[in-house]
Amino acid sequence: MEHYKYAGIVSLMILLFSVTLVAGAQESGDVYVSSTDINSKTIETVEKGTSLQKVLSTIENTYDVKFFYKSELLEGKTFAENRVILFQNGLFNLLDDLLSDFGFRYKVLTHRTLGILPKDSAPNQEINLETVNGTVTDASSGDPMPGVNVLVKGTTSGTSTDAQGNFELSVPSLQDTLIFSFIGYETGQMPINGRTNLDVTMQPQAIEGEELVVTGYGIQKKSDVTGSIGMVSSEDLGEQQSAFNALQGLRGKVAGVNIFTNSGAPTGSNRVVIRGTGSINAGTEPLYVVDGVAMEDGIQYMNPNNIESIEVLKDASATAIYGSRGANGVILVTTKRGDTPSEDVAVSYNGSFSVGRLASKMDAMNAEEFMEVQRRGFENATLFEDYPPGQEPVFDLSDDIGTLFDEQGNPLYDTDWQEEVTRTALSHDHQLGIQSGGEKSSFGGFLNYTNNEGVILNNYMKRASARIVYDASPTDWLTLGTNLRVNRTWENSVEEGGGGQVVRRTMVEFAPILPVKMPDGDWSHFNDVKFTSLEGQPNPVQRAMEEDRLRDRVQLFGNAYAAFQITDNLEFRTQFGVDNTNFESRDYQPTDLESPESSVGSAGMNNSETTYWQNENYLTYLQDTGKHRINAVLGASWQERSYRSNGFGVRIFPNDFYRTNNVDAATEVSGFPNSDTWDWSMNSYFARGSYTFDNTYSATLTSRIDGSSRFGENNKYGFFPSIGVGWTVSNEEFMSDMDAINRLKLRASWGRTGNTEIGTYQSLSTISSGSVLLGGARQNTSAPQRLANPDLEWEKTTQYNIGLEIDLFNQVVSLEADYYDKLTDDLLLQRPIPSTSGFDVVMDNIGSVSNRGVDFMMTTRNIQTNDFFWSTTLNFNYNKNTVESLGAEDEDIFPGPNWVSGSQTILRVGEPIGNFYGFERLGTWGTDEAAEAAAAGRIPGEAKRSSDRKIIGNGLPEWTGSFSNKVNVGNFDFTADIQFVYGNEIMQQFLHTAEDRQALTNGIATQLYEAWTPDNQDTPIQRIRHQPLSGQNTQADSHWIVDGSYIRGNLFSLGYSFDQGKISEYGLQRLRVTASLQNAFVIHHPDFKGHDPEGSSWQGNPNTQNIFFYQYPKPRTFTLGVNIQF
Amino acid sequence: MKKFILVFIVGFLTLNSCDNFLTEAPKDEISTNQLLDSPETVTGLVNGLYREGRAADFYDSGFGGANVMFGGFMSGFFDNEAKGERIQGQVAQDLTLDPEILNQFFDGWWSGHYEAISHANLALQAIPDMEGFSENEKNRLLAEARFFRALNYFNLVTSFGDVPLITEPVEGLDGLEVSRTSSAEVYNQIVADLDWAVNNGGLADAPFPDNNFRITRGAAAALLADVHLSRAGYPLQSQGSYADAADAARTVINSGQYGLVEHGSDPMTMSAYNKMRTSDVDDEFIYGIEYDGNIASNDFPGQIIPGDVRPAGITFGRTFNVYRPIEEYTWIYDPNDDLRVQEKQLFYSSLERDGTVYEFNEWAPYMWYEEDVAFESGNSGDRDLRVYRYSEVLLIAAEAIARSEGVTNEAISYLADVRERAYWQTDRSTIIANLSGLSEQEFVEEVWKERLRELPLNFKIWTDIQRTRQYPVPSENNPGEVNFVDVVGASNNWGQTYQEHHLLYPIPDDEIQTNPALEQNPGYN
Repeated sequence: MEHYKYAGIVSLMILLFSVTLVAGAQESGDVYVSSTDINSKTIETVEKGTSLQKVLSTIENTYDVKFFYKSELLEGKTFAENRVILFQNGLFNLLDDLLSDFGFRYKVLTHRTLGILPKDSAPNQEINLETVNGTVTDASSGDPMPGVNVLVKGTTSGTSTDAQGNFELSVPSLQDTLIFSFIGYETGQMPINGRTNLDVTMQPQAIEGEELVVTGYGIQKKSDVTGSIGMVSSEDLGEQQSAFNALQGLRGKVAGVNIFTNSGAPTGSNRVVIRGTGSINAGTEPLYVVDGVAMEDGIQYMNPNNIESIEVLKDASATAIYGSRGANGVILVTTKRGDTPSEDVAVSYNGSFSVGRLASKMDAMNAEEFMEVQRRGFENATLFEDYPPGQEPVFDLSDDIGTLFDEQGNPLYDTDWQEEVTRTALSHDHQLGIQSGGEKSSFGGFLNYTNNEGVILNNYMKRASARIVYDASPTDWLTLGTNLRVNRTWENSVEEGGGGQVVRRTMVEFAPILPVKMPDGDWSHFNDVKFTSLEGQPNPVQRAMEEDRLRDRVQLFGNAYAAFQITDNLEFRTQFGVDNTNFESRDYQPTDLESPESSVGSAGMNNSETTYWQNENYLTYLQDTGKHRINAVLGASWQERSYRSNGFGVRIFPNDFYRTNNVDAATEVSGFPNSDTWDWSMNSYFARGSYTFDNTYSATLTSRIDGSSRFGENNKYGFFPSIGVGWTVSNEEFMSDMDAINRLKLRASWGRTGNTEIGTYQSLSTISSGSVLLGGARQNTSAPQRLANPDLEWEKTTQYNIGLEIDLFNQVVSLEADYYDKLTDDLLLQRPIPSTSGFDVVMDNIGSVSNRGVDFMMTTRNIQTNDFFWSTTLNFNYNKNTVESLGAEDEDIFPGPNWVSGSQTILRVGEPIGNFYGFERLGTWGTDEAAEAAAAGRIPGEAKRSSDRKIIGNGLPEWTGSFSNKVNVGNFDFTADIQFVYGNEIMQQFLHTAEDRQALTNGIATQLYEAWTPDNQDTPIQRIRHQPLSGQNTQADSHWIVDGSYIRGNLFSLGYSFDQGKISEYGLQRLRVTASLQNAFVIHHPDFKGHDPEGSSWQGNPNTQNIFFYQYPKPRTFTLGVNIQF
Repeated sequence: MKKFILVFIVGFLTLNSCDNFLTEAPKDEISTNQLLDSPETVTGLVNGLYREGRAADFYDSGFGGANVMFGGFMSGFFDNEAKGERIQGQVAQDLTLDPEILNQFFDGWWSGHYEAISHANLALQAIPDMEGFSENEKNRLLAEARFFRALNYFNLVTSFGDVPLITEPVEGLDGLEVSRTSSAEVYNQIVADLDWAVNNGGLADAPFPDNNFRITRGAAAALLADVHLSRAGYPLQSQGSYADAADAARTVINSGQYGLVEHGSDPMTMSAYNKMRTSDVDDEFIYGIEYDGNIASNDFPGQIIPGDVRPAGITFGRTFNVYRPIEEYTWIYDPNDDLRVQEKQLFYSSLERDGTVYEFNEWAPYMWYEEDVAFESGNSGDRDLRVYRYSEVLLIAAEAIARSEGVTNEAISYLADVRERAYWQTDRSTIIANLSGLSEQEFVEEVWKERLRELPLNFKIWTDIQRTRQYPVPSENNPGEVNFVDVVGASNNWGQTYQEHHLLYPIPDDEIQTNPALEQNPGYN
């Protein structure tokens, strides 16, 4: 195995070495002035008869300048003798020398632009450039087009058309080429060819058809593709300028791709589900492939501005090329390279500044309301417990008078902790890009710095990233390139999971009668309240400000490839990719966080490193005869990922100075230091052949053989085939009369993909070791971890897909719809086994889950006139998920979270994944039911519940989608993106402590205003009960459940692009400013009491979507952005 | 041509593979086949038993209380202030036990026990052939493994009745569906394991702390006495078991290693109970759960202070009274004569700190109170939890001898030993005189009362109700007197009536669903 590891590296080195030799040997031939490397060039000989124009063009390249002149001026000017040019003398000496021979002189016009004129012309004579004019019209309608950008190729000079579509432009020579561009139209190039008047027609951008699609291991014409692939361009992603996270930009853009943004934090985890949840224990995230390299972790930290396009592979015909890792869908990310449209240096700067504010607040009680609950809780205490006469609890504020209450018992403070712990988050983002494209090589350099603040105090994510891309084609048969990215992030995170005393909870529950800081300057603590005993919660502001939860990451990610054109049709490509991530977390809790008594200061540090490499080699065969088109791929892949980590914790610090910087200042080790390591490897072979006949009939066969170390000895390799067919009906003879239908294509596919995402060593029976206390010291302990299962193999998903693509009425309406039917069987399931075996579960291939649904996407171009363009896109996904079978006995599985009443979700055959489980709250016991209530051990006003637990909701939506509108008016563009979710529920776990349980903490106002009283008996909300005095009555029940449907104003953005003609005077090619508003509004069910109807406090458990115990509130963000290109 | 050679070289190098590229070789875990080569791993397997299964029931705590408290909640005499946070406390008081509602609770209990049993089975299989152990070491480890297998089966059989009896390691996926074995057979296996441990284990004869907190011969014999006592009662009422219980108890007593802790100079502050509360080393300690604040800390100190009391300077963020004896329980004691019911002996109802008195207005266990933990170190209780004390062995002996041999002087003296220490102002002769001349049933009921008074924090109340089918009814007007009535038909202190099926717990629903060979206990379908 070891020797293989290095084989890839060695081969790469040999390859690069050989390439250098070959490239060197190639340096001769008919190139007149061979090199543009100014440093290596000193002297050049120009042969007799060479034209001056040719020499000047060499000089242009050498010095990166541009000459403007009248073409007739240089006509017939050739060198009469061989001549030596001395480059080392500098440009101006050279020109003086050279031009005087021909009776010319030069004049500096702008930076890097020089005019050439007759020597005897007046010193300040205007340079008469050639003038070209013309009209630009729409190819389909014939209407003139205003605002079209016109650019001289290879220069920064240009203009744009006027209201009548006319333009006039000065060009250095009538041999130049003009570039025409306009949003929604294909960019065109037009050589002037000596003309002075050019009439140009522009083609609306082909919506389908000629578009190219990135598929795994290649690029295909969209018209040939038989699979279901969603595409998002960099423009679509970039709309959301303040989306620091690439996944957020993808939200709502592709039907069938559900992105649950379960937190409002800068690094808030996004959960991506493509076409439903197909797995229970083996992971539901899609496979991310960035420039051909699998990225397991880190997509959320990637700079979204580096992305050129994202393709989402959904059906088996598209995903089978990724075999055992394709079952959850594949997201292919293609990053920007160095090439530019004008084959010149392009420098761009994108910057944004955004302001975020809490979009919603929970209805936490104020000080007065809080005290009313306390008072009534004391009053009601005797209802819940018998007290000997005279020993009833007394509501007595005397110990707190002067500190928290005035003499009359009125609270001195009324703190809104949601306000105190949040802020107006100010974030900024800077992107600098340099792209330099040439005929033989291109270079790109991209720098980014982002400071993204969360709305919770002291919560931030900063990112600095640098990326270098280089591509070269030294010969006509060799292309090679490399792409390396360094991504560094710093983060101070807020805990988003579980049910602890964290800020997202205490911002609602901390007592409003406490100030942020006591008058003596110390943080207030829960035990500053004397008249009752409150839950031991840390002051939320103190926690946010003084606790460290630092998360630093350095990711090195990149690849290098070489492609050999063996024949005209056959290419061999080898690619080596690496992903190395170093992660460090440093946690520190200060010495008086909870209270001066109980906190001692504690620190914990963890380091981990993940190293991944892959080597892929494949042959691509392309043949296009017009009638027959073949695109075939055959290759092999090796990959290995290894991980190691170590961590430790210490406690009891003398003060808060050292934090994690000097952990040896602590006096105790908490827990035991730990370390961990694992690795896994895969070896695969893949093939794909696609054939299109007459642009009408297409078929694609794909297969992959995957071997994985994670599986049992008996099942190391798996085979994943797929077939797809496409029929472009509109190309048939019989359709030629149907003018309304521009394009109609039908697709169908079948295939099988897999899922390997389980932990390592699951097929082996292993013994793990640790230590236990025995005899006053740690003694070693060991325990078997699992039963061996040498037959363990892939989870398999069989998917059928039928698709329809149609363009109507001159592409006014474009529609794409897919129906899919996915059955995942041989689930990698932690199958429950009788625990009399000593084990509760065994990892086994058993059980199945189905997902059936529809992806739908329709774009209409409602208005297309010269100065007004309006299009609307509606996309949605409907998905029905069903657990078809489970373990050997189809037994119920309770996957947690185990909280309050046991598992709050259930997996049951015939039901979908993500079902909530709990009691039904039938209401509250009434006074006329007192006897009945007493028999059940209750009193009137307590919750009345069903005797059994049942399924009470589901967190995964049936319908998700988005509705977006784009309008261009003149130089303005406007986008409105509305997203919707329908057919799911939310389990509001926070009602446990915010409403059901009273007086131990603060809660929401319904516990006071809608509580049961003898006069208000028709309510599900229980009578006020003072928890510290009288205990509580809470269970996970249907009262916590609320409809989870919502409509979100996801993005409204307004942009203005300046006329190119005007900005070119300042040396700019593009200047665009934008203003946008994200998360403008959310319409949800009126009974929902949380911050945002999308969330999960139990990330990592795929069953827990929309189950939350408080949330990191999402901000409403206003962003100003600028986009400049030089 | 050049380029073809190049492609060939690259292709050759990259497509070359090797056979073991996909082999998994864990570096942080040992594969099972290596286990049989390593004495350390086998020792580790036995070491783990000290904190698994039944042992973990004592410390697996939190809002719901330790598993071992569930019997106290079933009896209706103990309440958990935090019961609203976890379902089991409320369900037990309400007698609404249900295999589905308590599925996760009982499944954790059931599978935890079987996990410990499977580790014991693996150790018992591996040890005899293991190189690198002396015979003595082998026997000691075998005896420890058998002790824990017995301890776990004993709790399973008293909790659930007939349970699958598995004594060999499970190695594959075949034959996992095992049906229930009769309780009698399970008891046979338990007794066989403990007999072996007592007679063949070569275990040390010493109090638990003196043997470095490893199982002693006395611990095995004490457990065996308890097992026989239980087998002699309902439901098996096995012939001869009282005599066997007496024999086993005498093995402990006659070893001469154990004794009751005596009161110090001030019987209130330095009582035997307070000495045991503040120290882990004494001759009364037979078997227990060891704690150390730095390695495995005892959570109980934070769970015995009512939540509405917040003494200044307390280090716990939140406290609650997890195992509150309700007022009726205190009527079991004679308030004048019995030291155990005095303030700050077994229980307390107020706390002094820096001169301030904090009244609880209720009772809470004092035996688990650690002042330095509550007010200084926080969350790191050090005191061990005693599972078997010598006083219990004396009471087992008294009951078993009375049942098998009659109310002999020996039986009387064992009961008197325990009562004498509690009745600190009463002469032994008076105590003996009061016990002499009682009928067998009367004497045995005196033992039962003494068990209620002496062992409330050793979690005996429910297993005593199960085996005797008698429910204790104390009297407010006549504290110290307890009537015993048939448990079936009796009402608990929360107004709920016991039915026969309540005497066994339901088998967890998960286990019933996974194993079709299992049948649910009657009354729970």
